[in-house]
Amino acid sequence: MKLVACVKQVPDTTEVKVDPKTHTLVRDGVPSILNPYDHYAVEECVRIKEKIGDGSVIVITMGPPQARSALMKCLALGADEAVLISDKAFAGSDTFATAYTLAQAIRKLGSIDMVFCGQQAIDGDTAQVGPEIAQQLGMPQVTYVEKIEIDDKHKLTIHKQTEDGYHILEAKAPLLLALLPPTSFQPGNPPMSRILKAKKKPFNIWDAEKLGGDKSKFGLDGSFTQVIKTYTPPSRGECEIIEKEGKEAAKKLGEILLKHEALIKR
Amino acid sequence: MKEFCASEIVPKTEKLEDTRKMPKDIIKALANFELLGMVIDPEYGGLGTDVVTAGIAVEELARADPSCSIPVLFLVGTSWGHVLNKYGTEEAKKEILPKAIKGEQIIGIATTESDIGSDLGSMKTKISKKGDKYVVNGEKMYISGVAEAVEYGGGHVTLAKMTPEKGTRGMNLFYLPLKDTPGITPTYVEDIGREAISCGGFDIKNVEIPKHYLIGEENKGFYIVHEGYELARGLISLVCAGAAAKALENGIAYIKERKAFGRPIGKYEGIQFKLAEHHVRIQALRDLGYKALWTFDQELQGKASRFDVSMAIAMAKSVAPFWAVEAIDDVMQWQGAFGYTKECQDQKAWRAVRSFTLAEGSSEIMKLIIARELLGKDFLAYR
Repeated sequence: MKLVACVKQVPDTTEVKVDPKTHTLVRDGVPSILNPYDHYAVEECVRIKEKIGDGSVIVITMGPPQARSALMKCLALGADEAVLISDKAFAGSDTFATAYTLAQAIRKLGSIDMVFCGQQAIDGDTAQVGPEIAQQLGMPQVTYVEKIEIDDKHKLTIHKQTEDGYHILEAKAPLLLALLPPTSFQPGNPPMSRILKAKKKPFNIWDAEKLGGDKSKFGLDGSFTQVIKTYTPPSRGECEIIEKEGKEAAKKLGEILLKHEALIKR
Repeated sequence: MKEFCASEIVPKTEKLEDTRKMPKDIIKALANFELLGMVIDPEYGGLGTDVVTAGIAVEELARADPSCSIPVLFLVGTSWGHVLNKYGTEEAKKEILPKAIKGEQIIGIATTESDIGSDLGSMKTKISKKGDKYVVNGEKMYISGVAEAVEYGGGHVTLAKMTPEKGTRGMNLFYLPLKDTPGITPTYVEDIGREAISCGGFDIKNVEIPKHYLIGEENKGFYIVHEGYELARGLISLVCAGAAAKALENGIAYIKERKAFGRPIGKYEGIQFKLAEHHVRIQALRDLGYKALWTFDQELQGKASRFDVSMAIAMAKSVAPFWAVEAIDDVMQWQGAFGYTKECQDQKAWRAVRSFTLAEGSSEIMKLIIARELLGKDFLAYR
C-alpha cells in the first residue's frame, strides 16, 4: 500500500504577527514547527502502514527550502521518503493553488492508495487544502477524522467527529483523510535513533519544472483569492470565570448581571 | 533536541533545585529519548554516534535546565560510558552499559580526593590484587552522582594507585559499584549550584571488586582517565555556551521591555556594547567547543593526534566558564535588583557555570596544557 501524507511547516506561536503592509505573516524570529495536525496525520499514516505490515509512506510539503526540517521530522516519525516542492513559482499560493500543486505531486508519485492531511494548519486555520486535494484527484474524502481502524482486507472503519458526537464510516482505498488530534493513541516525539536514521532516507526536491503540470495554476497566478487585509479582531470585553458550583455559582452570576444592567436590558 | 527539551525537560526544571539528587523521571525521559550513552556501540544498546552529536545534545540540555544539573548527569555518563565502551572488558560492558543506557544505573567518575584534584599522582586511594579479585582502600570526594548511584544503582569509574612507587605510571582505572557494596560509606556536601545532581564522596574500606571491572591494562589508568576527562571538558564547553546563550536570550527579551528614563534599556549603548560582546564570545565558544569535539572524533578515527585533541579541548575549556559567567552576570545586572533574587532563573545558571572553572580540570590546568603544547615538555611547570 502506498500512502502519502501532506504536511506544512508553520510558525510555532499562537501570537502570529501580521505585516501591516503586505498582510502576510511575519515569520522572522519565530521558530518553525511541523503543523501539529500534520504530525498526527503522519503518525497515523505510519501506524496504518505498520498494521498492514507492507507499503510505504511518502511525505510531501510545498514550501521554502527551510521546510526541509519539517519533512526531516516526518521521516523521524517513520515516513519512508520525503518530497519538498520548492520554487519561487509557488510563492503566494492560496489554498486552491496549494492543493493543485500538492495534487500534481501526488499524481507524479503514481498510484496512491490513501492521502493523509491534517484537518487544518495552525497558522491559516482554513481546513480547505485537504478537501481541495481530494477534489483535484477525484478521490473520496473524510474530514474531521479522529480514529481509523483497518482490517486484514484493508477495509477502513473511520470515526468522524461531528458537533454532537461522531459518525462511524466504512470505506476502502483510495481516499483522502483529514485528521483531528487522535483519540486512539498519544502522539509523541520520535527517539534519537529514528531522528538519526531519518538522515539516510530518500529526500527529493522538486522545482516547478520537475513537478510538471499546468504552470498557470501555480502560485499567485493560480490563486483565486488574494489577501487584502489580515488583522486580529479587537477584544470584546473582559471574561470572568465563576469558580463556584451550583447555587453558589448562580448567586454569583446574578450579582454580576445586576451589576451590569446593560447586560440584562440587552 | 529543542522539541524534546521543551516537552520533557523544561516543565520539570522549575523545582529541580529542591531535590538535591536527580529525579528518576528525568533520567527515564533522557533514556526514552535515547540520549543516555548515545556514543556507546549499538551492540550494548547505544546509538554509536560521534561526540559532536553528543555536544549538540548537551548544549540544548544546558539551554533547557538553567541549573545545569541535567547536562552534568548527561556529560558524566557520556564521557565515562565512552571510556567503559572503549577500554572496559567485554563482561563489564555487557553488565553495565545496557543498564546505564536504559537509565537503570548511572555512571560517574571518581578521581578527586579531599586533598588532591589535578595532582592525581598524590592520591591516597590504593588498589591491590587478592587472588582473582582486587581490593580497594581509600576515599573519594567532591564526586557528582554519589546519591544517585547509591540509591538508583550504578557506580563510578575510579582511579587508584596499584604501584605507588611508579607515581602516575602505576595507577589502575576500574569500575566501582556503589549501591549495596560492602565497605562503601557515602558522605555528602552541598554545592552552591547544580543542586539537582548530588555531590559527595565515599570512604572505601576493603572493597572487593571482580577482575573484569578493571578498565584497560593495569598501571595504565592515568592515561585512560584523561581521555574521559577530555571528552567531558569538550562537552562542558558546550554546556557553558548553551547556558550563556539562554541567559542572553532572556536578557534580550528583558532589555527590550524594561524601561528606564523613558525608553527601553536595550536602546542604551552601554547595554548594546555588552550584548554584542557576549554574543560574539558565545558564538566563538560554540566554534571552539565543536572544533574540540570534532578533533576528538577525528582522533577516534585515527585522523588526529592526542596532542591535537588536548590542545583543542583545553582551548575551549580554558575560556568557556569565564565567558559564560561574565555573560550571565551581565544579564543579571541588566535585570537590576530582580537579577539578584532567587526568582531570577539566570542566577541558577550563574551558580552552575561557575563550577566549571574547577570541574573536570581547572582553568589553570587548561592553560598549562596549552602552554605545554606550545613550549614542549621541557617547560612543564609541574616537573
